[in-house]
Amino acid sequence: MTRADALTPAPPRADQDEIAVEVRGIGKRYGDLVANDDISLTIRRGEIQALLGENGAGKTTLMNVIAGMVQPDAGEIRVDGAPVVLATPRDALRHGIGTVYQHFTLVPNLSIVENIVLGTERGILLDLATARRTLDDLLPGLTLPAAPATLARNLSMGQRQRVEIIKVLYRGSRVLLLDEPTSVLTPAEVEGLFRILLRLKDEGVAVLLITHKLDEALAVSDRISVLRGGRNIAELGPDELAGADLPATRRRVVSLMFGGEPTEPVAALPRTTIADERADSPHLLSVQRVTSLGSHGAPVVRDLSLDLRAGEIFGLAGVDGNGQKELGEVVAGQRRTTHGRVLVGGREITNHGVAVAVAAGVGYVTDDRLGEGCVAAGSIADNLILKCIDRPPFARRGVLHRHAIDRNARRLIAAFDVRAPGPATRIGRLSGGNIQKVLLARELARNPKVLVCNNPTSGLDWKTTRFVLQTLREHADNGNAVLLISSELDQLFEVSDRVGVIAAGQVVATFPRRDLDAEEIGRLMLGGRP
Amino acid sequence: MNGIDWEVVLSVLLSGAVIGAVPLMVAALGEAIAERAGLLNLGIEGMMLGGAFFAVHAAAETESLVGGLLAGTGTGLAMGLLFGVLTISFRVDQVVVGLAITLFAGGLTGFLARDLYDGHATAPTSAPDLAIPGLSQIPVVGPALFDQSLLVYLTWALVPICAFLLGKTRFGLNLRAVGEYPFAADAAGVDVDRVRYAAITIAGTMAGFAGAFLCLGDLSFFEPGITVGQGFIALALAMVGGWRPYRIAVGALVFGLLRSLKTGLGIAGVEIQPDFLAMIPYIGILIALVVLAGRTALPAALGMPYARDRGRSERE
Amino acid sequence: MTSNGPGLGRVVTPFISSLLALIAAFVVGGIFLEARGKDALGAYWLMIERGLASPLGISETMIKAAPILLVSAGLLIALKAGVWNIGVDGQFLVGALLVGVVTPAVVDDLPRGLVWLIAALVGVLGGLLWALVPALLKVRYGLNEIITTLMLNYVAVSLTAWSVKGPFRDPNTVAPQTVAIPRASRLPDIPGTDVHVGLLAGIVAIVVVALLFRSTTLGFKLWVVGQSVPAATHVGLPVGRLTVFALLASGGAAGLAGASDLLGVKGLFQGEWQPAYGLTAFALVYLARLQPLWVLPCAYLFSFLDFGGGVMARSADIPTYFVAMVEGLMLAFLAVATAWERQGGMLGKSRWRRARLDAVETSPDPADEST
Repeated sequence: MTRADALTPAPPRADQDEIAVEVRGIGKRYGDLVANDDISLTIRRGEIQALLGENGAGKTTLMNVIAGMVQPDAGEIRVDGAPVVLATPRDALRHGIGTVYQHFTLVPNLSIVENIVLGTERGILLDLATARRTLDDLLPGLTLPAAPATLARNLSMGQRQRVEIIKVLYRGSRVLLLDEPTSVLTPAEVEGLFRILLRLKDEGVAVLLITHKLDEALAVSDRISVLRGGRNIAELGPDELAGADLPATRRRVVSLMFGGEPTEPVAALPRTTIADERADSPHLLSVQRVTSLGSHGAPVVRDLSLDLRAGEIFGLAGVDGNGQKELGEVVAGQRRTTHGRVLVGGREITNHGVAVAVAAGVGYVTDDRLGEGCVAAGSIADNLILKCIDRPPFARRGVLHRHAIDRNARRLIAAFDVRAPGPATRIGRLSGGNIQKVLLARELARNPKVLVCNNPTSGLDWKTTRFVLQTLREHADNGNAVLLISSELDQLFEVSDRVGVIAAGQVVATFPRRDLDAEEIGRLMLGGRP
Repeated sequence: MNGIDWEVVLSVLLSGAVIGAVPLMVAALGEAIAERAGLLNLGIEGMMLGGAFFAVHAAAETESLVGGLLAGTGTGLAMGLLFGVLTISFRVDQVVVGLAITLFAGGLTGFLARDLYDGHATAPTSAPDLAIPGLSQIPVVGPALFDQSLLVYLTWALVPICAFLLGKTRFGLNLRAVGEYPFAADAAGVDVDRVRYAAITIAGTMAGFAGAFLCLGDLSFFEPGITVGQGFIALALAMVGGWRPYRIAVGALVFGLLRSLKTGLGIAGVEIQPDFLAMIPYIGILIALVVLAGRTALPAALGMPYARDRGRSERE
Repeated sequence: MTSNGPGLGRVVTPFISSLLALIAAFVVGGIFLEARGKDALGAYWLMIERGLASPLGISETMIKAAPILLVSAGLLIALKAGVWNIGVDGQFLVGALLVGVVTPAVVDDLPRGLVWLIAALVGVLGGLLWALVPALLKVRYGLNEIITTLMLNYVAVSLTAWSVKGPFRDPNTVAPQTVAIPRASRLPDIPGTDVHVGLLAGIVAIVVVALLFRSTTLGFKLWVVGQSVPAATHVGLPVGRLTVFALLASGGAAGLAGASDLLGVKGLFQGEWQPAYGLTAFALVYLARLQPLWVLPCAYLFSFLDFGGGVMARSADIPTYFVAMVEGLMLAFLAVATAWERQGGMLGKSRWRRARLDAVETSPDPADEST
């Protein structure tokens, strides 16, 4: 990651031993699941600490405990040395602990200023004017990302995050918790975020960065704590990190997190098909000058054209909100177009709906797993056949055949290594990674000619991520086409035959595998001119 | 047709419309507040009935109008609170709680009306009139709008009060946040439960008052089912009015007019079946809803306790 | 759909909590009666004696159960598909009215069997048509069906009353009503009983609904729509069509109930007739936890209550409104019991916080929706 080298963290401050928050022996279980097991952690002033761990390691739970969202079953929390009880987020805020969540907590129909003052005003009347004045003095250089009266729903991700940070600072927070803050940012925005964090560190603010991105942690933290299986298994202090050999440190942390798993990149797999070398291989997916409108009536996909051949993975890089999700939905048949055509294997499926797209051989793995990807209250078995309810062997002439449904589920659970008690388990009970596997299994079981995946690895741990990427690569190698929409550039680079950049609803550039240039791609993602 | 003083007739009809609009408007304002906080209160009909009966009952027992009004309003408050406890603290489905309250209140008030009053309870209605000098002299409109009981003026004042509450107070801001995205409000430190409790208590209080006014300020008696769906109309009115107080007030007046129309046409000698006319308000709402369909933006969290999946999963 | 865990446990607990809710409602109701100076125990005993112990009581109960079963069957389809059809009363009335108008016109010319078939179709059609407008409004404009069906209820009441007093009035009677259907053409009784065959129609309807959701693809699809519309769209289900189907089916069932009542019990449509089964059916279906087969005993229970209410009114000076009170209480207690179960045996103020973690992981951020 090039950006990791661009930033050099400032040397640790002299008073960094001043402990802002300390947690000891934190335990938390949800039924049989032990999320946190006797965790102790110290957060110091003027220091940036990263909390690393794979999904399910318990870092989100721990963060929620410190943020006052969740009550621990055991252990204590101390702020400035004194034990406290954080029963509500309000309590945490009162003690100076502010949290920026992964899913932003801005109310869409309120303005920036209203969002910032929400929950802080005293008295009966709203006084937005005074609030605005206070904001100006808050932190020199930290300005509002847009006009104060702008509604939150009209802000970009990076802008919203900025508002979130201002929000917690406005409340006088001296301890900042950030949950996976870079998951929706462009490389430039990530740098902007890190700059702010370093400024805050200089001001004596304590920062806890919860992430699974190792390189970011290494780039900006003074201290790294590693969680695994609900336990805090290692802490790398400033002495170990400063001036350390980066690749060596990286390997060490990975082995701590996963216990010695090999770190071979997926792309080391020999590949026999490189798309642009087989000019005669058929176009499986042809998107021709498609325009689609968003919910405000303005086009989110604009005159976009794209062709995918058999055997290729096309990685579509872009910052969230530039039309990639909508493009995926258009191909899947979930969204209408106002202009243009979509052809799958030569067959036109434009605006014919999802059922026709499915019949034509389109698979779609959505990024919204629980919202639309599955029926949370349904069993794994039921969810696996959602896209082929009427088909034999699952149903004949309108009657369901439960045996066949069950057998299918068992087969897929085994093939995809889904960790679950059985096919009748409620899918909502599974972890994010396992739900993702089920969704992937569902799509792949039908062997789609064109598979669209939107951020299939978001929030997943390293092992599952590799599994997903490997599966996608195999699917493509079998003669199918994969459209991989993602904001994880390194993953895209690993598996794609071509990488395209989407910005403002158009594919602004396409790079074949051998010409991949991360900086250029990042620049284009931000709207730089091609 | 001859010999009818049309000015007087129109004035009386308009006056009737204004008075008839009051219960609707008050109940709808309260409902708008509740819905802005994300609570769909189908118990509104029951709360109006409860307020109506206990207002009349108390007024009859204490021989005081104020006593009756207080009792009715208090009943609404209690029922609103009950709705709150069930849906907020116990997380019971809002639609079910609302229907249960309406069902129960209908039964309770009907029972007591039968048991205590043989089905028809009367009460004194003697609120002092206040004619605004000058304005009340305007022909036709004057007496209708400006020569009403104090009570009516009071309820009109509720409209700007509600508008102010929603737009310019801390509570209003919290309310708008809670109804749209309760998780964010919670994370910001707003006590979501408390805001919702306040909202539904206000809604219940206003619904109770609306019922009390209906039977004390307008009709002067109570019979089982006297509200005839006005609670639900108020619910629809809140939606149609986009949860904005001034629009709701206008909508309520339109309704009052439609109902006065019945009497008016009768006087004019036009033969229209009362049943036929009774349909008009409801059809009117439907048409209004269709016309406004594109522009009503429901508070996103309306009707949901926050994790909708879990709420639904038990319905197998 | 497929069972989600140890089978028996999931049946027993809801059953017990339903039972407890029932008992609690009666207890509270009884306390209220005593407070009003009535003899609660005596009244309850009377209700049981006359209702359960006497053949007349039993057959009267079953007669009342017929329309309720049909309405409930329809309501089940709607609720499982996530559609709140509050307008079953209106659909019932329109179906009944049409039957009351059409049947006398054909009764002289056609054999009985055909008359009943026509009546059934007309009833279904009437209810279906009355549900059509809300269905279309929901699918086309996204209008909440709670409001639209509710409003149409009131319109139906006025419309039918007006029709019966006006264009469809029997000119030979003083009281406003439709032409009576001759007794010979009405529904016969089930051999050996005093209950008309409409009851069988009700039972069959429930069984059909049970099969629909257990074994058919249509039922499965309706269930998916009821669980999550976004998921249903995502997997390519025709959500609009399924929603309309659910509403129309429940409307048709309500209309058929109207036909059953008209042909089997009343024989004519009287002005101002509104039996208002809707709210009762709602409470009933909820008591049955939306399980079709449980609707059977629950429907019997509610009809029994209805009959008992009449008994208590006549003999114990207790207004019939008492039944509505008990039903409301039952619904409320039951709702609480369901919530209690759903939360793993806990209630109380801190649940908002307890659930925060789930909210953190699953909260849909409205701000993320593509704007």
